[in-house]
Amino acid sequence: MTRFSGDFFDGLTSRAHPVTASLEAGHLRIEGDGIAIAVPLDRVDVAPPVGAARGVVHLPEARELHSADHAALSELAKAMPSGRPERWARHLESRLGYALAALAVSVLIVFGGLRWGVPAMALLASHTLPAGVDRHIGEETLLLMEKISLSPSTLPAARQQALAHQLAAQCRGQACPPHRLLFRDSPLFGANAMALPGGTVVVTDALVKQSHHDEEVLAVIAHELGHVQHRHSLRLALQSIGAGAILVAVTGDIGSVTDLAAGLPSLLLQSGYSRDMEREADTYALAWLNAACIPPKRFADMLGRIDKDASDKASLLDSHPGTVERIRPFLAPGGCT
Amino acid sequence: MSYNKQYPMQFTGRGGEYFVIWIVNIALTLATLGIYSAWAKVRTLRWFYGHTLLDNQAFSYLASPKQILKGRLIALAALVAYYAASIFAPMLAIALLIAFILAMPWIVVSSLRFHARQSAYRGLRFDFTGSVGEAARIYIGLQLLIPLTLGLILPYLAYRQVRFIAENTVYGQTAARYRGSLKPFWGVYLLAFALMALPLAVVGYGVYQVFQMQAAGLPKEMVGAAVGAHIAGGMILFYLMIPVVGAMIMARTANLFYNATELGPVGFDSSQRARDLIWIYLSNLVLTAFTLGLFIPWAKVRLARYRAGRLTVTGPADLGQFAAGQQQGSTATGAEMADLLDLNLGLT
Repeated sequence: MTRFSGDFFDGLTSRAHPVTASLEAGHLRIEGDGIAIAVPLDRVDVAPPVGAARGVVHLPEARELHSADHAALSELAKAMPSGRPERWARHLESRLGYALAALAVSVLIVFGGLRWGVPAMALLASHTLPAGVDRHIGEETLLLMEKISLSPSTLPAARQQALAHQLAAQCRGQACPPHRLLFRDSPLFGANAMALPGGTVVVTDALVKQSHHDEEVLAVIAHELGHVQHRHSLRLALQSIGAGAILVAVTGDIGSVTDLAAGLPSLLLQSGYSRDMEREADTYALAWLNAACIPPKRFADMLGRIDKDASDKASLLDSHPGTVERIRPFLAPGGCT
Repeated sequence: MSYNKQYPMQFTGRGGEYFVIWIVNIALTLATLGIYSAWAKVRTLRWFYGHTLLDNQAFSYLASPKQILKGRLIALAALVAYYAASIFAPMLAIALLIAFILAMPWIVVSSLRFHARQSAYRGLRFDFTGSVGEAARIYIGLQLLIPLTLGLILPYLAYRQVRFIAENTVYGQTAARYRGSLKPFWGVYLLAFALMALPLAVVGYGVYQVFQMQAAGLPKEMVGAAVGAHIAGGMILFYLMIPVVGAMIMARTANLFYNATELGPVGFDSSQRARDLIWIYLSNLVLTAFTLGLFIPWAKVRLARYRAGRLTVTGPADLGQFAAGQQQGSTATGAEMADLLDLNLGLT
């Protein structure tokens, strides 16, 4: 190994001593004006070099050797008894081609992770989490929603009971996931129905008023039961946590988890995810309606009426079937016998 | 011996070089499910330190990735515990939140200490000797007074923070002194208050005009339009003012910090300008957005180069006379906790 030059610091003062260093018989020999030391290699620690920044060699007793001679330093690192994981990073950083490959891999992992990895993990986690978690989150969410956007239903009690009885009758005939039906008035949500974690299904007064038939309301509830069955709202919450974790990996800034995790990525992605979930809930509703001998067209009628915005909207990560396409399976004659 | 030699701080890193390191860091972090992030952090800091030169000698960052990983895992476990508690046991979550707030001074001190002890120049480490008690007075006590004093405590709070960090910084065994006074901080914050009052003035003028128009008996639609225009204008001006005022406070505080700090025979001369920082931040933001984030490495390098270029060290003809202090270890838990909570300790 050739000799290389650098600055030696004795760890006692800030004085820089110009020295030359060389590798000799398992020792790093450092020589300069009034300095002649030899350090056994197993006590030498070559800090893994980064880019073209000055290299640092750590010696015992807080002594340091700084050098800009990267060729000599990497030769020294190779002579060290044990390798470090950073060697791989250095190798990848050495060629632009590798870096571009790293860029491609990053983009693939981020998009693949957001599109498939996070939903799959959320699905897995939702199966392992006890049902109590859903119920708890659902109760908290309902309390919050009642504070800001829900008020007690103005529907006659008889109408509420009639709808609840019809649902209960259907759920005696076929398996329904555990649920609780609530009617609420909400100018903010308009004609709408929501499935909260834990199985609470909220139906707004406006939805009931816009329906032309009780079976239309039941069809919408069937769709919400689909969300309950697949624990979609819990999965959505878990997904936003997963998306936040990916964001941290990209920005390298763990602080951004608290800023952005709840906001930007979930906003960006929830529309993309919830479309898959809508499809799942639709499939459930179709089977449920057929088993209940309710014409599936009831769902199509209701959806067409409440979703004024029936145009196809494409999101960033998913090409979503618009309402027109969504209601198509419900237009076929029902399979009730 | 002459004591007025000028040593300009230099930053020699290039954006392209950092881009490669940055993208490899991201790829490996993703591929290892985040574990590599500790190594990535160390490599990034070592690159920035290694390219920061004073008197032709580089700074060095000494923390080991395993220390960072350990601190990161503990901090993350604390956060997960808090989130889990907020779902299962809200009362426990409130107790944890209070515990976090009470631990804040310790987190601040421990973060500043870890950062200082892992930074070295010419083979000598920095240290931070601030006490948890003083941190509690500044970061909890004075902070609580902000609403009570309608923000008028802010200049004093900023002054105490700067003094706390400056006075407790040690290089080798040489402790820094801070010779600044409260007065210039009032200048900074009065300007900030004035700038933030501008949007309010616009809205106020709009309301005044409305009364004039009503007095003149103009139709309701016109009055409504005038109110709307002024409120919208005031809002836009308000959001434009936030980054402008932020950059102004940052530039001037950095100058007040460095220019009044002395490290033994060494003094500092910092001349950051608000308008330069605003330009760098805004252009970085635009370019980062247009390149879908790929500009981030160049953006960070630009900022580092500007800050270094605006800092000059004044000292003796030989910077080699500082002596070493006692070496002490420290853990990364507090520092990573501070990162996680996004504490802005400013200044570095």
